[in-house]
Amino acid sequence: MLLLLWWLATAIPELVPPRVLPSPFDVVRRFVALAGEPFSGATLLGHAVVSLQRWGIGVLAAMALGLPLGIALAWLPPLRAVVTPGFELMRYIPPFAWVPIAVLWFGATTTTQAAIVFIAAFPACIINTQLAVAQVDPILARAARTLGAGPARTLAKVILPVAAPTIFTGLRIAFSNGWMALVGAELVVGKQGLGFLISQGQINDSAATILVGMTTIGVLGTLIDAVLQRTQRLVLPWRPVAARPTE
Amino acid sequence: MTPGTSATSPRWTGPATGADLTLSFWRREPGRARWLAIAAASLAAAGAIWWSATRPEGLVSPLFLPPPLEVWEAFVRLLSRPYLGSTLGQHIAASLRIVIGGWLLAGLVGLPLGIAMGWWKRVRWISFPIFQILRPVPPLAWIPLAILWLGIGDSARIFVVFIAAVVPWVMNSMQAVDSIDGILVRAALTLGASDRQILTRVVCRTALPTLVAGARIALGNAWTTLVAAELLAATAGLGYIALNASRTLEMGILLVAMAIIGVLGALFSIGMHLVTRWVAPWARSGVAT
Amino acid sequence: MTPKMEIRAVSKTFHARGGEVAALQPCDLAIGKGEFVTVVGPSGCGKSTLMMIAAGLEAPSSGEILVDGKPAGPAGPRRTVVFQRFALFPSETVADNIAFGPRVAGLERVETERRVAEQLELMGLTRFRGAYPHELSGGMQQRVAIARALAVRPEILLMDEPFGALDAQTRTVLQEEVSRLQRELHYTVLFITHSVEEAVYLSDRVVVMSKGPGRIKCEIAVPRDASWRGLEIEEAGTRASFMQLKREIWELIRAEIVRH
Repeated sequence: MLLLLWWLATAIPELVPPRVLPSPFDVVRRFVALAGEPFSGATLLGHAVVSLQRWGIGVLAAMALGLPLGIALAWLPPLRAVVTPGFELMRYIPPFAWVPIAVLWFGATTTTQAAIVFIAAFPACIINTQLAVAQVDPILARAARTLGAGPARTLAKVILPVAAPTIFTGLRIAFSNGWMALVGAELVVGKQGLGFLISQGQINDSAATILVGMTTIGVLGTLIDAVLQRTQRLVLPWRPVAARPTE
Repeated sequence: MTPGTSATSPRWTGPATGADLTLSFWRREPGRARWLAIAAASLAAAGAIWWSATRPEGLVSPLFLPPPLEVWEAFVRLLSRPYLGSTLGQHIAASLRIVIGGWLLAGLVGLPLGIAMGWWKRVRWISFPIFQILRPVPPLAWIPLAILWLGIGDSARIFVVFIAAVVPWVMNSMQAVDSIDGILVRAALTLGASDRQILTRVVCRTALPTLVAGARIALGNAWTTLVAAELLAATAGLGYIALNASRTLEMGILLVAMAIIGVLGALFSIGMHLVTRWVAPWARSGVAT
Repeated sequence: MTPKMEIRAVSKTFHARGGEVAALQPCDLAIGKGEFVTVVGPSGCGKSTLMMIAAGLEAPSSGEILVDGKPAGPAGPRRTVVFQRFALFPSETVADNIAFGPRVAGLERVETERRVAEQLELMGLTRFRGAYPHELSGGMQQRVAIARALAVRPEILLMDEPFGALDAQTRTVLQEEVSRLQRELHYTVLFITHSVEEAVYLSDRVVVMSKGPGRIKCEIAVPRDASWRGLEIEEAGTRASFMQLKREIWELIRAEIVRH
């Protein structure tokens, strides 16, 4: 129904100038064009792949660092005292505030983008993992101890499986945060990628390009989340027991 | 996917065992005094590393990470003289104006809409698809469109901040109304309340903590988006300072700008938590339902 | 004389995935003014459903509810409900919860205040008038719920297993209180419970339902002038007539439970 409204609004040129809001057909046409021919360096697919690559590196790094650290922080309370002050200080700096400094450090390369993704995804990873492990009912750990399990085994066989669904949900949030941040980073810096694409669209006065880009970003984002949800259900069929994750 | 879901209080939590002395030192939750001591020590250590690494003979070049002294000097400088045409106060005001403006506007639209969507199925049926489509698109992706439509001015940034904040406002408000225990509505019915009375007296009051939580998330989103928007389309504001400082390699100023951004973000978050507590003293502490 | 409330040929069928589930077979029940009627029955017999329909919170699949001979209409303050889960408004203090009904009805401030004070006194809650529900124990919360239901001066009071969520000690205390209230105020009450002892202690008439989908199996009158009226429940439980009634009713229920 929205689509209908949109088309109607743009069908009358005096109502909404095509420069401001292109008709649905224009957008579709642009989509096809972008899919086929390179624009500002690559086709739509090319840009998307570049974006996904950067995002992938960033979130994998965040996960690789965030998961073990989160578990360690939950399992070893003194560590939390060490890390918390520094972490809290950094946490309130939005990922984008890091863009200027990241550009200075890494130049206008993939590393910069990946770094921003990392910064966006890391807090969610580590906090949610920590929360998930910490909120496992302590009675389970005690039961394991009375049965003779050492701390390592308790952690691996008892705590982690129970915390896993919540950790996974936290990962989903982190991954989507990363995707959102990537787009912003690409707007500011870089010569490829979906963010770059839409900023080029703006420079070239092509609202259709922007819309195609935005839609692609949105669709990919939803797809990523959907795939993750599917994976979660396959790998961890039992329902999350404890914490609700933080953003 | 987007910040449209409710969140628990952003605090570190530990296992509920407290000082369980049967555990080893590493597994035990430190008491308050010890905790503070460790934290202070770690901060001091970090500070020391920073200072020593950025000394002239140190490992890190001042272009990469400025020494603490330089950062302090930059801070003083920003306080005393205008930078890029406005004083620090004016820059902060510029940023705050946009953020609060966009956030309040989003609230004005989003809060009633969200409540309406939670309460009347019709409204939800019409509006929900719009938000489902809007949600996955990162607010920042709207910036180019906003610039195209509104030019590089205040309105483009307010627009983008609005978009960033309106989604959590709407989604959280809707969920807040949704998650009210049905039995309360039934009880109100038996006591003779009309539909409208139930909505205002029972639903809105009970949902208040969740509604404020939604406001808090919206504010967080708004702030994050604003900083990005200022990197792209601004003539004043903290993001603008940061961008320029990075271009002119004034590392000290850059760090100060980042720090102020962080502090403001923290103040917003803490402020909203306090508001939650003030507005709904009856809500269980620490849990945003 | 017209009964205060009449449940006429009320039945209920739910539509669930895979077909229809009959929860209640056609039931008839008449409650006189000032009468305390308790419905007991095996789990799942549909007594709560019957109550929800009587309260006007659910529509019957057939039949109707009459109050003073006329159709009762939707849920309202003429028949208030005390729920098992208390259902107190968490954002309101005790006093505000009790005042809810009068306020919603548009009563003047003075009158509302008077009623609130009256109920607080009646239920022993005056000290707690400024407390929030989550600060109170289960027993106190249920007292507030009763006070709230009575503040609107209902014609009929419906109580859906009100003590089911309380511990045994609190339950006993509240049972005795309800008994006292009934002797003083003579409300018209429809009460649902699992506990046969509670039913005998409080009621003028005990209605036994069959196994689900339930129907009214039979009704047993409890003499108004029974020797144990007005005693504490522990004491009453030792009287022969009490134990006899209890046994009788329990046998009826047990027969239903083990049927097929």
